[in-house]
Amino acid sequence: MVMTFFRRGDGENSLDQITARTVSMVSDARHSFDLASAALLSGADVETIGQDVRQTDERINEAEQDLRGQLVVHVSVQGSSDIGEVLGLILLIKKIERIGDQNKNILYLAEDGADLSEAPDLEMLIGFRRTISEMLGQAADIIAAGDEDGATELRKRTNDLQVELQDHIRELMHSEEPGHKVVPRAILYRYWKRIVANIAGVVTTATEPLQHQGYQDDGATDIDD
Amino acid sequence: MTGTTTAADRGLPTWARSVLVFALIYIFLVGVSSLESGIKVMGADTQANLFESVNNPIAGLFVGILGTVLVQSSSASTSVVVGLVASGALGVDAAVPMIMGANIGTTVTNTLVSLGSIRQSDEFKRAFAAATVHDFFNLLAVTILLPIELLTGALSSIATSITEALGGSAGSEWKSPIKKWVKEPVGWLKDGLGELGLEENFLGTSMVLVGLVIVLAALTFITKNMKKLVADRVERSLNAVLGSGGGTVAMVLGLVITVAVQSSSITTSIMVPLAAAGVVTLRNIFPVTLGANVGTTITALLAALASGSVDALTIALVHTTFNVIGIALLYPMPRIRMIPLRAAERMADLAVERHTMAVAYVITLFIVIPLIGVAIFR
Repeated sequence: MVMTFFRRGDGENSLDQITARTVSMVSDARHSFDLASAALLSGADVETIGQDVRQTDERINEAEQDLRGQLVVHVSVQGSSDIGEVLGLILLIKKIERIGDQNKNILYLAEDGADLSEAPDLEMLIGFRRTISEMLGQAADIIAAGDEDGATELRKRTNDLQVELQDHIRELMHSEEPGHKVVPRAILYRYWKRIVANIAGVVTTATEPLQHQGYQDDGATDIDD
Repeated sequence: MTGTTTAADRGLPTWARSVLVFALIYIFLVGVSSLESGIKVMGADTQANLFESVNNPIAGLFVGILGTVLVQSSSASTSVVVGLVASGALGVDAAVPMIMGANIGTTVTNTLVSLGSIRQSDEFKRAFAAATVHDFFNLLAVTILLPIELLTGALSSIATSITEALGGSAGSEWKSPIKKWVKEPVGWLKDGLGELGLEENFLGTSMVLVGLVIVLAALTFITKNMKKLVADRVERSLNAVLGSGGGTVAMVLGLVITVAVQSSSITTSIMVPLAAAGVVTLRNIFPVTLGANVGTTITALLAALASGSVDALTIALVHTTFNVIGIALLYPMPRIRMIPLRAAERMADLAVERHTMAVAYVITLFIVIPLIGVAIFR
């Protein structure tokens, strides 16, 4: 292990390596999102899926801890010259970790007996699931490439989707249907909305680690965790 | 977040910085040699008066602490001691306590760094313990090894044996190739100062002062540039070792980093924020600190190469021997190993309860006691 000191680096600096690991964290988050949503929407075996989701979430949490440690080492050794980027990465990995937590919440819904596999609006729900999953994939690509234009475009789509999901939540609040039908769906929309908000946060942080000087938060950009 | 540059990428290219470091090491060696020559130029009476006060080993110990606290670098203070021994003005026996004092004095830097987190109790507790474990280990090592050295001369005997095995005998000179390279610039300096009309004690004092400035400045720049050169390697190896490495591996890493950056203060100060953030535990940091203790002795050994004096090499080896034996005595047995760790934890508890305790600790250990000690024992 001490020999690491004498080995030549692979040309990538440590922050680039950390960024690369955040990409695999997002891929893990997408994997657990797909599984957790499948448990609810396809009627798949919740127990088997639950194991996989928990293991993936553990992997995400371990990566978060590990990367946070590496970022502290980076600042201790290199000083504060790239502190903005370090702070951005700390925020980024926290947001990815939150997506993992929301995926687990979706799984808990299924474990508590919620089953939407025969819901009349199943096609629409599957559509949302597919869109969010694709957004996670795009977020990983944007982080890897540092694609600012892609981030702007994805952020716009996440904003639109959040509005759409909120409309569904509002609609369900005033629904005449019985609670056991309305509540799981409303909660699912709420979790999805949080995941989408975190995707927006991830791509924003990845391409603009710290908000520009003079930035005044008027509340419109608040990110729902 | 791609396309960033590392700290090492900024400024000079690596090859240029490497050349600069070699040049600075050469300048450092010229500084040590100038110091040695300056003392030699002074009259015998002046030399005797100058170092009379450190003939008492306790005074020597406190002078070592004070000198190191003043320049914030044991590498610098031990190099100066090596230069003084090389000149013949200071004997190996009188220099040993000064070297031990330098070991204690150098711990002030990371203790000061730990005070930076004084406002956050939990962080401060971890940071202060991580810093003071170095103090307590060195204090304990000196408490055990100084009396043994004074009674038996064990450390200097071991160092002398190593020197003799390398081909030198006490009081003689050995053919150091580096001495030849640094002789000429020191001659120019002496001639230049001589042309200004300086003679004997004035000339000697001036050469000593110039030598001191060169040693301090060169070491500062060597450390800065080496840190930039190896920062990525340090980061990579810390990530590899701190996650899964054992005590010995961490110790070797502390040694390697310190040899590379020529400063134990850099190594130990890097560890303080890591401890504060809870990334590493006190027990993980302890061996790194001990490795740094040994690694920092490389500078005095380097300085001894510039002198060609066997005694200078011996005192430099005493520094290494002292730290290696200190580790051999205090680290392997878990019960003994716990003493500095528990002392550091207890001190951190007190410091968190009363922040003034932390400040009082630093001032008392590194300034007040050494000053009183020098005043009483000189």
